[in-house]
Amino acid sequence: MEAHPSYHLISPFSTKYPRAAGSLFLAYNDIVYSQQWTDVEVLDLEPCSRAAIRGRRPNAESTMNVVPCTLSELISLEWLENAFVSLDNPPEVFLAITSEDSSIVYYKISRGIVKPPL
Amino acid sequence: MTTDPRPIPIRIANQRAYIWDVDDIAVLRSQHRLCGILAGTLPHLSQQNVFLGVPLLLMPEEVVLLVEKKFAVLVDDPKAHQAPTAPQLQKWEEEREEFAKRHIVVNDTKINQNAATRSISEDAMRKRKERMERKAARSQQPAPVDMIPEESPAERAEATPAPDSRPSTPSSNANTVAYPVIIESASSTLEWYDTSATTYDAIEAAQAAGIWSYPSNLSERARCGVFRGLWEQGYFLGGGIKFGGDYLVYPGDPLRFHSHFVATVIESPVATLRPMEIVAHGRLGTATKKSHLLCGWNDEKKDVSYLSIEWAGFG
Repeated sequence: MEAHPSYHLISPFSTKYPRAAGSLFLAYNDIVYSQQWTDVEVLDLEPCSRAAIRGRRPNAESTMNVVPCTLSELISLEWLENAFVSLDNPPEVFLAITSEDSSIVYYKISRGIVKPPL
Repeated sequence: MTTDPRPIPIRIANQRAYIWDVDDIAVLRSQHRLCGILAGTLPHLSQQNVFLGVPLLLMPEEVVLLVEKKFAVLVDDPKAHQAPTAPQLQKWEEEREEFAKRHIVVNDTKINQNAATRSISEDAMRKRKERMERKAARSQQPAPVDMIPEESPAERAEATPAPDSRPSTPSSNANTVAYPVIIESASSTLEWYDTSATTYDAIEAAQAAGIWSYPSNLSERARCGVFRGLWEQGYFLGGGIKFGGDYLVYPGDPLRFHSHFVATVIESPVATLRPMEIVAHGRLGTATKKSHLLCGWNDEKKDVSYLSIEWAGFG
């Protein structure tokens, strides 16, 4: 485990938020190695008792925020709102939903009534 | 269409809200962005359910909004029908007879014309004329006031002199002439239909009178709040069952636009939300070119917050 290249970046948060360690590790590795984001950093997201991931998609200008969670967690609108506030009110947050078989799916959550793309 | 300051009467029967006037339906749709659902079937095609007509059935959220905005009042329809007085009933009966007589004459004239072209014998023509005169004479007799008007004038005229105690059946008598019976869809023309004592201009008053209960709990308050919130932003709303939500949100009249959003109502900011719901709603919305709206109701602040969900496009 300690030999994994992501381990040292993640370990402070996996000790602080052990319940969220699995989904964070999964989402971080997916973003860095599979989605190939750059400038990836891990941020403390205290009100949600977990860490968030911030980075830049390949060939994209702006940074994007990812909040990992597992499929079996129970969240609420307040929980999502807290995530927005802690991440300095970005227009959108990506929720990385992970399952036990380590599959992962991302959903874009936008504040307000945002029209679907054409 | 000009703006009509008169509040629209919403007729309540058995906790359901109906609009019976097509002009009111037009005002609702064109001025108030509310569509309702046409629920009446056609008298001659009662088995079909594709082309429906009046009455318009309103969603409870639409009713609450209309009354709160003072666009409409609630009418306790069953109670508005009072017992008619004898003169009222007599007048109604006379009008009905007059209508029937007019139609019988028109029908007979038509038959006569047809008969003439088919050159029926002079004798038959004379007999028909005699019959018509007899009938006209009978119809002019005043109707007894206390009579319950269930029989046609022709029936009654025959029933009176009948020596047999059993009532005669219309079909057994050759003298009976068919005429149309028109049943009005609205009761407003009836003299004994009086809504003045059974009209409520506030939801609380209607609730106190026991004719209307919505919204009676947090879930219903949340639905009303979210409905109002979206409506106030200029959207049209329809039922969301086809896309697994509470409402479909249209940018204009649903006859002209596709919906942009499927909305679900969330009763409170701390209500449990499962990530699986986000996946299910989000993926369905993305597949149908709609965003999914999570509409959170805050019952203390009485306001709504919105989150839009879409598939991220990666992962």
